[in-house]
Amino acid sequence: MRPASSITRRQATTAIAAALGTFAGGKAARADKRSNTLIYGQSVPVTHLGPDYGAFLRYPAGYEVGYVLFDRLVTFDADLNIRPQLAERWDISADQKSATFRLRPNMKFHDGTPVDAEAVKASLERMLDPARNTTNGPIWSPIETVDALDPLTVRIRTKEPYALLLNTLAHGSGAIVSPTAIKISGDKSMGMQPVGAGPYMLESFNQGQEVVLKAFPDYWAGKPKLDKIIFRYVPEASTRIAALKTGSVDVIDDIPPHLVASIKQDANLDVIARPGLRPLGLALQNSREPFNDPRVRRALNNAVPVKAIAEKLYFGLAHVSDSPLAFNTYGHKTVGHYEFDPKKAAALLQEAGYKKNASGTLERDGKPFQIRLITSDGMFPGDLRVAEVCAKSFQDLGIAVEVKKVEKGSYWDYLRAPLADLVWDAAVFGFNPSNGAGSYHLDAVFKSNADDAKRPVSWNIARYRNAHVDRLIDQAKVTVDPQKHTDLLAQAQTLVWNDAPYVFLQVNDIVSAKRKELRDVEVWPIIFTITRNAYY
Amino acid sequence: MLSFLIRRILRIIPIAFCVVTILFFLFQLVPGDPALLIAGPMASPEEIAQIRHSIGLDQPLLVQYWDRISGLAVGDFGYSLTFKGSPLPQVLARLPATLWLTAVSIALTIVIGIPAGVLSALNRGRIIDNAVAVVVVGFLAIPNFCIGLLLITFLSVELGWLPSFGFEDWRSVIMPALALAARLIALVARMTRNVMIEELRKDYVRTARAKGLRRNTVVVRHVLRNALIPVVTVIGLQAGYLLGGAIVIERLFSWPGIGDLLINAVGLRDYALIQGITIIFVVGFLLINLATDLLYMAINPRLRDA
Repeated sequence: MRPASSITRRQATTAIAAALGTFAGGKAARADKRSNTLIYGQSVPVTHLGPDYGAFLRYPAGYEVGYVLFDRLVTFDADLNIRPQLAERWDISADQKSATFRLRPNMKFHDGTPVDAEAVKASLERMLDPARNTTNGPIWSPIETVDALDPLTVRIRTKEPYALLLNTLAHGSGAIVSPTAIKISGDKSMGMQPVGAGPYMLESFNQGQEVVLKAFPDYWAGKPKLDKIIFRYVPEASTRIAALKTGSVDVIDDIPPHLVASIKQDANLDVIARPGLRPLGLALQNSREPFNDPRVRRALNNAVPVKAIAEKLYFGLAHVSDSPLAFNTYGHKTVGHYEFDPKKAAALLQEAGYKKNASGTLERDGKPFQIRLITSDGMFPGDLRVAEVCAKSFQDLGIAVEVKKVEKGSYWDYLRAPLADLVWDAAVFGFNPSNGAGSYHLDAVFKSNADDAKRPVSWNIARYRNAHVDRLIDQAKVTVDPQKHTDLLAQAQTLVWNDAPYVFLQVNDIVSAKRKELRDVEVWPIIFTITRNAYY
Repeated sequence: MLSFLIRRILRIIPIAFCVVTILFFLFQLVPGDPALLIAGPMASPEEIAQIRHSIGLDQPLLVQYWDRISGLAVGDFGYSLTFKGSPLPQVLARLPATLWLTAVSIALTIVIGIPAGVLSALNRGRIIDNAVAVVVVGFLAIPNFCIGLLLITFLSVELGWLPSFGFEDWRSVIMPALALAARLIALVARMTRNVMIEELRKDYVRTARAKGLRRNTVVVRHVLRNALIPVVTVIGLQAGYLLGGAIVIERLFSWPGIGDLLINAVGLRDYALIQGITIIFVVGFLLINLATDLLYMAINPRLRDA
C-alpha cells in the first residue's frame, strides 16, 4: 500500500492556500457591488441544460441551473420536503394508482405561452419515452399515463401504487418545458436553448464555461428578487475560495474540509455545511470468501475508528453512520451503531475460525486472511485517506491488506465488473439517491441481483442477498401511505445494518460558502447548491 | 525556401496520422467505459447499451478505427459526448485563449529572461548577478501551479490588483502567463548569461573594442546577436512544452482555453474531444518548431543555404 504520509499535488496546493489564507483572510472587501447580480463559481462545468437527452450535464452543476431555470409540478424545499410549485394542490385516488394535480391559473413559460395541463402532459410524456429520457428512466417507468382533464387539471396514473411519485416529479428531470419552444426549435433544443417556467430565464450559454440567467418578469409568483444569476466554472478549489474572498463570485461549492477554516476566518463570508445523502463505506464482496460470513463483516465494522475518521480526517464535517441510509434521506431511521472495539472484532474473527499464525497474520484452514481494497483518489471526498485508515485498522487485527488506487475514469468499471473479473474484496463506495428517497436507495444498493455472476444491474456491487429485505423493499415501493412506507423501510434498514454487507463509515457534509450579505442560498442534501431564492 | 515551407507543412499530416493511431489504440488499453460515465448512476443496462450503440462503441475495433481515420480525412472529428456534437467548434472557440496565454508567456520570457541574463553576464559576481541567480533557482524549483497560487494570494486576494480567475480584461492574462513562463524565464536567463560570458571572452570582442566601438554597441550588435542563437533554440524547443504546462495553469486560473477541456475529456473518456484537442496540440507543436527554424535562419545567415 501507499505510505500514509504521501501527499498529492492537489493536497500540497490546497495546504499552501490554507497557510496563506491565514493572513490573507478578512482583508479583501467586495471589490465593487455589482448591482443585484449573483455569481456562482461552480466546481463542475455545465454542458447541457435540458431534462432530456443526458439531463443537465454535468452532474451536479447542470441540475443546479435546471432548478432555477425550470419549475416542476411540485418541488423539494431545502430539507427535501415536497412543496407545491406549478401545482397548487393535489389528491391521491383511493386505489393509490392515480394522482390529480390542480395547476395555478395564468402561468407563463419564458416564451410567453401558457403553462396549462396540455403543456404539462406534453412535457411529462417526454420523460416517459426512454429514447428521450436517457438517464433517469427507472424513476419514471412506474408511470403509465398523463392526462389533461381540463386546462388546469392533470391526472397521472401509475401501473402500481407508486410511493415515490412526488419525489420523481420534484426531481430535476420533472422540469416542465415549453412544448411550443420544442415545436419551433426542435426535439433536442432544450439542451442549448431551454425554455421553462422558472423564475429566471436564459440570457446566454457558453457551453462548459458560463450560463447567464436573467429575471423572468412574468413569473407566476412575481418578478424574482435578483436581476441576474451567473453560473461560472471554476475548477480549482483554492481558486474558488480566492475568488469568493475577492468578491469576484458570491457563492462557491465543493469546499475541501481542510480549507473551511480559512473561509470561517473571513468576517465577510459564511460557510454552509449540511450532511449529504451519500453514506460512504466499504462495499464488502458478500458473495465469496472471506466476506460471505456475516461475523467477519461485523468484525470489520467494529475494527474501524469511525468517530476519529469523521472528526480528524474530515475536521468534523462528517458524521458517523447510524443506518445504511443517510440522515436526510426520506425514510431514514437510526438503527444502530458499530462501536470501535478491536477486542470485540478480534473475538468475532476467532469465532469465525481465524487464528493468528507465527508471523501474527490471521489464517483459517492454513489460508491467510488477505483482502484487496480498492479506492479512487477524489471520486468521493477523502476516499484515499479513508481507505488507508481502514487498511491500517485491519492490519492491526492481523489481516493482510493490499490497497489499490484506481483512476477515477475507470472506477465505476472496477466496481461493476462481473464476478469473474472482479479484482477487489472491499471497495470504497457511496450511493447518492438524487430523488432523496430511501426506498430508491435500498432498491439500488441492497436488493438481490438476479444473477450475482453478472455485472450488477443496479448498484448492488457487494452482491448482498437477503430475501426478507427484498420483500420489504418491494412492498415499500408500492406503499404510498408515508407512515407505513417508512415503517417498512425501517425494518429493511435494521436487517441490512445487522447483516453488515458494508463497513459503514460516515456521511459527509456538503460544504458551500457565500458572501455574508447574500441571503437564502440553500444547500440541499442531494449535493445541490440552489440559488433560486437568493437575494441581497 | 517555399518548397522548404511546403515540405515542412506537409510533414504534419503523417505525424498527426501516427498520433491519432497511437492514441486510438492506447485508449483501448485504458479501462473506463464512456457509456457508463455518460449514462450516470441511474441508467439501466439497456440504456447503457443504447448509448454504446449510438456512439459506435459496440462496433469491432478495426471498424471503429476506420471510421475515425476516414472521418478525419473529410474533416469529421466525431461525436463529443460532453458537448453532444462535433468537438471542433468547442476546440476552436477555446484555442485563441490558449494561444494568447502561450504568446504572452513567450513574450514575457523574451522581455524578462534575456535582459536578466545580459545584466547578469555584464555584472558577473556582483549583487545583480546573485539576485538574478536566486530568482532563477526559485523559478526552476517551485512548480508552476504553486507560483500561480502565490500570485493569486498576493496580487489578487491580498492586494486586489488583478482579477483572480477567468478572462475578464487585459489584466487577466498577467498572472497565468507569468506562472506559465516562470520556468522558461529562468532557463532563458541562465542560458543567456552563460552564453554571453563565453562570447564576451572571445577575440572578436577585444578586436571590436580595440577599433573603438563603444562597449554597449559591442554587447548589443555583436555579442548578443551571437548569443541569441542557442537562446532561440531553447525558447523554440520549450515553447511547445508551454502548451503542456498550460493545461495545469489554465485549470488553476479557470482560463477558458483547451487545457481544462482536455482534463475533463480524459476524465469522461470523451474520445472525440481528446482526439480533436490532441491534433490541435500536435499541429501547434510542429508549427512552433517550424517558426523556430525560420527564426534561426533569420538570425544565423550561415543556415540560409542549407
